[in-house]
Amino acid sequence: MNPEDYRLLIPQYLSGQLGPAETELFEAQLTASPELWMEVEELRSLWEGLGQMPQKQPSAALRFRFYQRLNAIDAKNRRAVRNKASWWQLGPLPQLAFGLALFVLGTYVGRVSLNSGVRPEEMAQMRSQVQSLREMVALSLLDRQSATSRLEGVSWGSRVERPDRELMSALVTALNHDPNVNVRLSSLDALEKFTNEASVRKALLDSIPLQDSPLVQIALIDVLVHIRDGAAAVELRRLSQDAEVNASVRQRAQWGLERLGL
Amino acid sequence: MFYDRVENQTDSSLMKLVQAGDTSPLALLFERHHVALFRYLLHLTRNPALSEDLVQEVFFRVLKYAKSYDPDLSFPIWLYGMARNAYFDSIRKKRGEIGGDAFGEIKSPEPMPEELISRKEDVMLLQRALLKLPDDKREVLVLSRFHNLRYEDIARILQCEIGTVKVRVYRALKELRENFHELRGEKLYES
Repeated sequence: MNPEDYRLLIPQYLSGQLGPAETELFEAQLTASPELWMEVEELRSLWEGLGQMPQKQPSAALRFRFYQRLNAIDAKNRRAVRNKASWWQLGPLPQLAFGLALFVLGTYVGRVSLNSGVRPEEMAQMRSQVQSLREMVALSLLDRQSATSRLEGVSWGSRVERPDRELMSALVTALNHDPNVNVRLSSLDALEKFTNEASVRKALLDSIPLQDSPLVQIALIDVLVHIRDGAAAVELRRLSQDAEVNASVRQRAQWGLERLGL
Repeated sequence: MFYDRVENQTDSSLMKLVQAGDTSPLALLFERHHVALFRYLLHLTRNPALSEDLVQEVFFRVLKYAKSYDPDLSFPIWLYGMARNAYFDSIRKKRGEIGGDAFGEIKSPEPMPEELISRKEDVMLLQRALLKLPDDKREVLVLSRFHNLRYEDIARILQCEIGTVKVRVYRALKELRENFHELRGEKLYES
């Protein structure tokens, strides 16, 4: 190597990207050439100075706009799926045509899958990974300071078919303790999907005394009445008789008791 | 815990899910890479608002062109390549709108907010010296120094030979040194 070749190696030497043999060769040249040594030392201070330069952070708006657009795309995809489903509500002829189209599509997809080597168990695994990823995104967003992000988190959480305990617990925490009423209401909407689980029904019941917003209290009463949870009677009676509770809430609790036949 | 589980997913495995039509993994890829991508684009554009727009544009290009991603290749390299294309597209678009130099209004090295508050004068001068570098030199230096990319990866992003990267990084560093001494009002001893 000539002196110019060694100089070209300086940045890689400074960043530690030379291999052991190259480093050895380069360092041997360093001891032999004072000019190279001087240049390395000068460029080293510059290289280290670059590392001390402050790094700018993107604004919070970037994350917000990204999730807003991603959600819009996701909603559009879901609408498209729903529109396809409405074919089944048409008469027998379109149903037959749709069935044939599905058959052709299925055959095609099957061939493509066979050719691309995607097995059913891999597809099942991928679906499970998707669920898991949705949970992760939801948990991450629910943990954020911005109420908008937490609302996005609840929205992601509601798309998980079978949330695990961690996500369920995060949604219940959001319902009980989130400072923003909209987040609490959205969490309730998300949890309503899972009221077939006794733990969720109990969490909703336990949540009533924790709420200070009449909006959330009324929404909770509506859900408990809708799922016809007889265990709600004690709490509904307390609300309907407590003079300190908002009048609309008292009336709604009374209405709930009547609807439940209690 | 959440972060442990995220760590278990490689970029490539997330991209396979995106390729299969799910948008959720894009959120995780965004969380992992958007800050570094923003900083890379900021060095190119020198305009924070434009850089944020481009970051968003790049991630939606990832969704649009997901099928073209080869899972055997490094995702960040593919992402940076896409960011570069988005940047040049924005320049072309801007030129079409106003004619002439697309980013003339932001090419003058304006002091960054950090500069205004920094007491480390040399670091401030270095930042200005970096901004004075021509675009191509600044870009290779940023990729090499701030993103710790190897020359072969930089060559892949810039679509050039490794030798070209090697020469460009060295020359960029030398020119940075000249700019720095000039800003300090010193004459540089040229060996």
